[in-house]
Amino acid sequence: MLQLDAVHIAYGPIQAVADATIAVEPGQIVAIVGANGAGKSTLLKAIAGLVPLAAGGIRFEGRDIAALPAHRRVAAGIALSPEGRQVFPDQTVRDNLELGAYSRRLGQADLARAMAAQYELFPRLRERQDQPAVTLSGGEQQMLAIARALMGEPRLLLLDEPSLGLAPLIIREIFGIITALRARGVTVLLVEQMANLALGVADRAYVLETGRVTLEGSGAELLQHPRVRAAYLGGGH
Amino acid sequence: MLATYLQVLVSGLAIGGVYALIALSFSITFTTTKTLNFAQGEFIGVGAFLGVTVLYLVSGEGSFAALAPAAAGGARYPLAAAVVGAVLGALGILLFLAAIRPFAGKPGMSWVMSTIGFGIILQSLGLAVWGPAPVNMPSPFGDDVMRLAGAGVRPQEILVLAVAVVLMAALDLLMRRTRLGKAMRAVAHNPQVAALMGINVAAVMLGAFALSSALAGVGGLLVAPIASASLFMGMGIALKAFSGAIMGGLDNPRGCIFGGFALGLLEAGVALWEAQWREIVIFLLIILVLAIRPNGLFGARALDKV
Repeated sequence: MLQLDAVHIAYGPIQAVADATIAVEPGQIVAIVGANGAGKSTLLKAIAGLVPLAAGGIRFEGRDIAALPAHRRVAAGIALSPEGRQVFPDQTVRDNLELGAYSRRLGQADLARAMAAQYELFPRLRERQDQPAVTLSGGEQQMLAIARALMGEPRLLLLDEPSLGLAPLIIREIFGIITALRARGVTVLLVEQMANLALGVADRAYVLETGRVTLEGSGAELLQHPRVRAAYLGGGH
Repeated sequence: MLATYLQVLVSGLAIGGVYALIALSFSITFTTTKTLNFAQGEFIGVGAFLGVTVLYLVSGEGSFAALAPAAAGGARYPLAAAVVGAVLGALGILLFLAAIRPFAGKPGMSWVMSTIGFGIILQSLGLAVWGPAPVNMPSPFGDDVMRLAGAGVRPQEILVLAVAVVLMAALDLLMRRTRLGKAMRAVAHNPQVAALMGINVAAVMLGAFALSSALAGVGGLLVAPIASASLFMGMGIALKAFSGAIMGGLDNPRGCIFGGFALGLLEAGVALWEAQWREIVIFLLIILVLAIRPNGLFGARALDKV
């Protein structure tokens, strides 16, 4: 579905990602784990079109999308829920969701239907639909960020650090939703610092270290891998 | 005495309405692109002259420098407003492409100089076409002073206030209720995240400059019958409007409107007392407000949820 071929990404003279080859098959949850600053977010931004590739290729559903600007990748079927949630704080929950569907140009009835589907997945957003997003808790904002991305009806959902700064109970809820999305046929590419959580749900996973893919395998394999356990899972646990 | 106060109130609201409109036009480009059009004053002057030209061409009444009152009658004034809005909108797009886009997002403030330069070029071209002399523009409702509870009120003052209020209400509705408005607010908050929604950020920025410039032109057309049309008239108006925007909070459209009206009323009020103190009082007050609230009265608090 998504194929990154020997991708290089640079911020000026600084190499952020080097020679990354990553494949995402439809219907999977694919996780990218690694330390802070390993280049995970940069990779997702490049897939969403926010940062250009310095070299390498990117294909989505067989189509070369390297030259497609960010705003047109949404219509192509890729949506990113960015790191730090980035909801529009002074706009209501409802307006945030409406913006998520911006590229679909829905009529009122279809828009209401699409929102109702999100409220079913995230009941707490329904209660808060008329509140400005800034008044939401961190967990609710994360739910809103995911729901907003889903409003674009993506076939590939990119999630950047969905657990960031959230309480364990909320994190469990969010990961429950991520697996539920896979059951609904949404392909998920997940970037996470909490490697145990991400590898636990992932069909396939990559370890990114200082911009390079150093390990890949199924989630279960990497969860058992001694180097992963030592580096990201807190040693002997 | 009451009549005098009423008169001050009406003329303060009228000029305040223009300040508010132009203040809003500054806010529109600032929130969406973090840049400002420092040629806005020249855009006001060109808007006024373009309006006079349209009235002259379609009516054929009187001469260019002294249009007959009938020249602005009927549908001609609204027609002039539409032409001015469209032409100045296009000019705004040109300004964005030539003077903003090459420099936006780059370090330094080249866009300040380039927009000032754009304005100077525009003014020089205007002088070449229309000459330096101010011309009179008749009001569509005539120039006879009406008596309102003893106060002398010019019909154009009422018109200015009414049009400004309608335009601002329409823009407020646009920004809060329409898909486009919500997209503009999204771009204002964070262009990158807006792009993730599928919003064409470059197009929104272009639209913001077109809208902002159209407002400046229409503002010029509104003021011209009260004073007279001049290529130099816009400078003072733009400066006051900018001050109003800063005072109300450049990133808050409603704050900008408040700031514009407040300055207009203050100006009219102080002029009643001592005309020569007008500017001194106004700018002292602005400095005082900013000393206490650096982001303006209604500017964004520097507090974001983490």
